[in-house]
Formats: sequence, structure tokens, C-alpha cells
Amino acid sequence: MSDLDRAIAQLRACRPIPETQVRELCHKARELLIEEGNVVTVTAPVTICGDIHGQFHDLMELFRVGGDVPDTNYLFMGDFVDRGFYSLESFLLLLCLKVRYPDRMTLIRGNHESRQITTVYGFYDECLRKYGSANVWRYCCEVFDYLALGAIVLGASNQLQPSAPRRTRAHDLDTTQEHIDPDTEIEVLNSEGNLISSVKRRSPEALLASPEIGRTNGISVKSGPPGSGASGDSDGTVGNPGGAILCVHGGLSPLIGTVDKIRLLDRKQEVPHEGAMCDLLWSDPDEIDGWGLSPRGAGFLFGADIVKEFNHVNNLSLIARAHQLVMEGFKEMFDNQIVTVWSAPNYCYRCGNVAAILELGVDGSGDSTIARSNGEVGRSDGGIMKEANGTLLAGPARRYRVFQAAPQDSRGMPAKKPVADYFL
Amino acid sequence: MGLARNSKIAKTTPLTPGSGIGSTIYPTRAVRLTFSAALRRPQLSDMAAIPNLLTGLRGGSRGRGRGRGQANIPGFSDASSINPATRFPRSEQAIRATDTDAAVSRLSAVCAGYLEDPFAEHFVEAASATRRLPIINRGTYTRTSAIDRLVDLFLAGSGERQIVSLGAGTDTRAFRLRARGERVLYHEFDFPDICAVKKSRVDAGAIVKLIDKQDGLTDYHIHSLDLRTIAGKEATDFEGLRINIPTLVISECCLCYLKVEITEEVIQWFIKRMPSLSIILYEPIRVDDPFGQQMVENLASRGVVMPTVQKYRTLKDQEERLAKLAFVGVSSESTDKIWDRWIDEDEKERVNALEGLDEVEEWNLLASHYAVIWGWTDESIFQK
Repeated sequence: MSDLDRAIAQLRACRPIPETQVRELCHKARELLIEEGNVVTVTAPVTICGDIHGQFHDLMELFRVGGDVPDTNYLFMGDFVDRGFYSLESFLLLLCLKVRYPDRMTLIRGNHESRQITTVYGFYDECLRKYGSANVWRYCCEVFDYLALGAIVLGASNQLQPSAPRRTRAHDLDTTQEHIDPDTEIEVLNSEGNLISSVKRRSPEALLASPEIGRTNGISVKSGPPGSGASGDSDGTVGNPGGAILCVHGGLSPLIGTVDKIRLLDRKQEVPHEGAMCDLLWSDPDEIDGWGLSPRGAGFLFGADIVKEFNHVNNLSLIARAHQLVMEGFKEMFDNQIVTVWSAPNYCYRCGNVAAILELGVDGSGDSTIARSNGEVGRSDGGIMKEANGTLLAGPARRYRVFQAAPQDSRGMPAKKPVADYFL
Repeated sequence: MGLARNSKIAKTTPLTPGSGIGSTIYPTRAVRLTFSAALRRPQLSDMAAIPNLLTGLRGGSRGRGRGRGQANIPGFSDASSINPATRFPRSEQAIRATDTDAAVSRLSAVCAGYLEDPFAEHFVEAASATRRLPIINRGTYTRTSAIDRLVDLFLAGSGERQIVSLGAGTDTRAFRLRARGERVLYHEFDFPDICAVKKSRVDAGAIVKLIDKQDGLTDYHIHSLDLRTIAGKEATDFEGLRINIPTLVISECCLCYLKVEITEEVIQWFIKRMPSLSIILYEPIRVDDPFGQQMVENLASRGVVMPTVQKYRTLKDQEERLAKLAFVGVSSESTDKIWDRWIDEDEKERVNALEGLDEVEEWNLLASHYAVIWGWTDESIFQK
């Protein structure tokens, strides 16, 4: 067993590794990350995850639900640290897995992977408390500066493949679906792999005949906690053109018209207070026209028109992003052109939300890779013409796995039930 | 809600041509975050923002900063599992500890620049002072500002005024009002042990010195009382309490910890005696959704149970509650709306610039689960 495997085992048990090992790990991780571009290319199949925020036990639940590394290829869209009480263990575990299985683990930067934010929101204090000095925090922050700003997923299938059997708490092997309708575009599964709901792809003919169909096709996705009536917001695609999927923590920037613009940024720095890099990590989609000021005080709000134009220009079928708490775990917006994936269940041990991860499968036939571009400009018309001609290219088939917070007393851990703040 | 507001901002904010990159337009930013603002205040920034879980395990008490009372109040501290012969049942200790929690939150908001309150630090032991997260600071600020504003409305009329603060604990409103020259008759009711601590702090002199008025802290009374026994008392049992002047009862997260029948009894006690009565309640609401259910569960695991929240689940329930008790006028607002509508834009800008709020959704979620409800029995005295 190598030192790295030992460190992984120790972190999996939620025990911090010694400072010297952290230093070595961060050094190795930086060497690895420096070779990555600002926009990492990832090929499907991939499981896309949103904010983790130091909720270590929920990260373990995520791995149980989504499959372990390296069996599953993961893409984490940032915000590994802050708020939760195990930022250190969560981030170091992800980093260890990155170093151990570089091709099966992609980490991109969130707005919390920053010196300033971590001093306010908990990671700094946690390092200080667990090590007695800020050294480990400093090593981690140096790694933050090297994290990629985004990722492009290529080769995602338009058809869902049956999900592989996976281990569950109750049984060693659980039965999963054996047959999937090829017309299924979106599928929502619970943490045990059982189907909650699915959405069929809409036929281009039906769309052209009656555009309003787009608003009624979707079924109500009951994915919230039992009895809450919470529902994931999603309905079938109106017209996702064939194309790549851009993954970024926050969203778009008025300064970024093309994916190539992201590639040109100098990312190896603290997250600035404004500018393109800041916006990518801070912005949010909103029901507005064009750009708006963000109530967060950093980044911008951007509307459906911005997303549609960006996806068209860059030949993207979907933008996957995190950054915003979604009670139902995921939320597709703007005719399914952008999705928010949130992976911190019962956020801050207080919000009562469920979490989700997004699985994009690979197409056995290889058709999808041909149909998709890699996010470069000018490769296609973005599907607009095709839509008019009735030859709509389909967006990627999406499987969401929805899960709840890990039971507090699971895994033989002492009942370290964290205290959530309220107004008393 | 947030969406509507955002859309409005987006539409009314003038966009100016940016640096000419591509065809995009770069909006000017009215507010630029200065995250460093939080770092410039050294008092609390180097203290643990996260509760020390080891402490929690050792004492069996998971509360944050409960240690304040240790030196002063025998049996009221981190003793739930250590000392079987504690003076109060666990649930009561937990309720008493909510006062410490509120005091720590108040000091945190003061240190971060949200509130001005020179008295706050005198009611928190240095060891338990903790920097709260921005979302909590904003909540403390919003709640305090909202009640301040309603109190100001009540005090605006001519003639003598009286304020009764239930479960006042370490609240500093009496001192703040006095310091700005208000001549209001101020009464605080709380458990005897909590009153004793407060009295000792006030008697220590620093408070009066801070008030910096010639006649010091006048017309201020602390009454030791377990509110559950108020039915057996008369107004004359409380020194200085008058029944013939307009009176405002404030319950800032106090009555919500009592049994529903008892809260009614308490409010009735004042209604029966005081012809001109107004009331302000600050309580959690909406326990039916996932956040609310989680809140009830989390607080219950700390021993904090809130019977009223189960009975009065919505703003409407809360308003009806007061209407049934002879208040001729009632009104209410949840704290997320208070932030949106009561705080003017300049002030919002100032507060926004203090610390970055990383999660707007989380704020809306948290703030929408607390509300201020107010009512009056005398039309002329207290209206919005």
C-alpha cells in the first residue's frame, strides 16, 4: 500500500493526515493541475457534482450513490470547502483521489476556493483548529490557484444506458433497470437507484406543430424529501442542439463570449473581485433579460437570452453549473439549456434540501461524438437551422441521482451532530 | 421573491458601455464587495467561527458558546450530563442558553459593523465571543432593525410611554434608548438567575457610564419572574409598572418557548390591566416545509422546543392569534421581506459591503422562516 493509498484510507475515515503529508500532496496536485488548461476536456461517461461544502459524510453518501472512484469518472464543480465542519477532510480526500486517479477525477474551482472567502466562511478556522497553524490552509490555497475554471464534456450520449448495479446500504447488490426506453431524455433516480420519474424526449415534429407543448410535456418530478412535495424542475428539451457540455461553477460573464476566451485567462491567482474569472465563479442565471447586478455583490445575473446565445455560438448543448442552493438537488432552466446541480444535502445541516448528481452516459455507437463539437466557434449553426428543418439534434440524455443527507450515526462514527445556527 | 426583486434591479440599473470587448455590455457595479471589511476587525476574526466539536462531545452539550454563564450561574451551564443534580430540567437549560446565543450573535453583528451597540460586549464573556457567519449577522441586524423601527413608531407619540420586554435576558435595547435620550419607562422580565446576572452587569457601572447621561439609567426595572407564574401576580407586584400609560410588550423569541396556553395567559394578563396595549412578537414560522422541519428537529436535539411554532404556522395564523386576543389592529412581515422592503437602498449597500453574503437563496430560506408580528388595542398609538 502506497503512502497515497494510506492517506486515502485515513481520509475516508474522516481523519486528517499529518501536515507534512498535506504539503507533499498539495505539491503533487499542483504539478498535476498546472498541466491542465483553464477548460479541461472530459469525455463521457462522467458524473457531474455540485457544491460539497465540507459535508464529508454526505460526500461519502455521494460516492455510495454515484459509485466509487475510480469506477466512476467524476467532475466536481467547486465549493469543496467552507460552511460544513469537514472541509479539510473533504477537500484533501478529493485531492488525493485526483492525484491517485488523475483521469477519473476532475476538480474545477468554485468561489469558495479562495483565500478571502475561506477566512470568512470557515475553512481557515477549521485548519487552524485542526493543525494549530495556518500552514495547511496556505498549502490548500496554493492548490486552489491552480484549479481549472471550467470543463467541456465530450461524447455524451443522447440515449440513457441502463445504470450499473451498485452497492446499497440494504443489500450488497440492488436490482436496477434492465430496459430503458430510447426516447427517455431525463431520468431521476433515488439514492437506491430506483426510478423516481423520467421524461421523454419531445419529437421535433410535435415541437414544430405546437411550440407550447414544450411547457407541458414535463412531468412533475417528485424528488424532494418524503412528504415535502418538493419537485425537481425539469421538462423535456425543446431543442438542445448537439454539442458539448460546459461545466463551470457559477456561470457566464459579460466579458466571455466564447469558451476560447476562458482558455486565454491567467487563472493562477486568487479569485479577483471582478472581471471574467470572478464572474465565471460567482454569476447566477435568473429570469431576466440580458445582464443584471447580482445580489451576492460579485458576478452577474444572466438571462435566458444570454445562455441561448452563448450555447449557440459555442455549439454547446448544455451548461452545467453549481453555486446555488436548489431544494430539489437540481434545476434545469431556460428550455433545459442550463442546469444547476447541488450536491450538499441538508446544506449547512439546516436547509432541509436534497442533493443531486448528474450522470452523462457514453453512447456505445459512437454517434454522439460525431454529432458534437468541442465548444469551438463556427463548427455548426448550433442547431438553429436544423430545428427549422425539423431535423433537431438531441441534447445529452441526463440521469439525475437524488440523495439525502447521510444518517448522522452511520459508519460507526460518534454522534458529532453539528450545530446549525438559528435566531434564538 | 428574490427573482422579482432581481429583475427590478436588472431593469432599473443603467447599463453603461464597457470596455468594448466583443459585443457585450459590461454593467457598472453599484456595489463592489470588500470582503476585507470583515478581516479589518480583528476582535473576533481570530476566534473560532465553527463550534469546537470536542467541547461539545465532552460536555454532552452541543450548544455554541454556552459557557458564558459558567462563572456566574450555578447549575446553569454546560452541565447537562455532568451534574445530575442540576437546578433546571434540560429543556429549561436549553431555553435559558438561547439568551447567551442571542447575546453572542448580537456582539458578532456589532463587531462586524452591522449594528451600533456599545453595550453588547458587556454581556458576552470574552471566551464565548464568536464570529457568526454573515447570514446570521444579517439576520440579527434585520431583526434588531425591524423591532427598533416599530419601537420608534411607538415612542413617536406624545406623552409617557412604557415598554415591557419579556424574556429580555441580555438585551440592550433599554440602554440604547436611554443613551439617545429617550425617557421611556422600561421593564424587563426574565428568570431570576438571568436577571441576577444582568443586574450585576448593570451595577458594575460600565453601562451607566456608556449611557453618558446626567441622570444615568433611570426608569429602568428588572423583574425576576418565571413567566409561567404571571397569572398569580398583580401589577403592583412589579415595582414601577404602570397600567395607565400606553404600554408596548416585546417578545423577541421568548413566548415561542412557552406552552401555547401560557403565552395566551401572559398576553391576557397585560390586556386585562392595560387599556392601551401594543405588542411586538418575533418568532419562527413556516415549520411545514423541509427547512422548517429541519429547524424543529435541530432545535429539539438541543433541547429547544417551540410550541407556538406548531400552532401558528403562517403569518396569517400569527395575525389571527393576536386578533383573537383583543388586538384591534395586527400586522406582520417575515424577515426576508423586512430586509427587502424596510431597509433603504443606501443602508442595504452599506450592509452588503460589510461582508460578502455567499448564498442569497440560503438567506431567503432562513429569513423567510422568521417573522415580526405586531398589534395594538388602541388605534391612536401604534400603527405602521
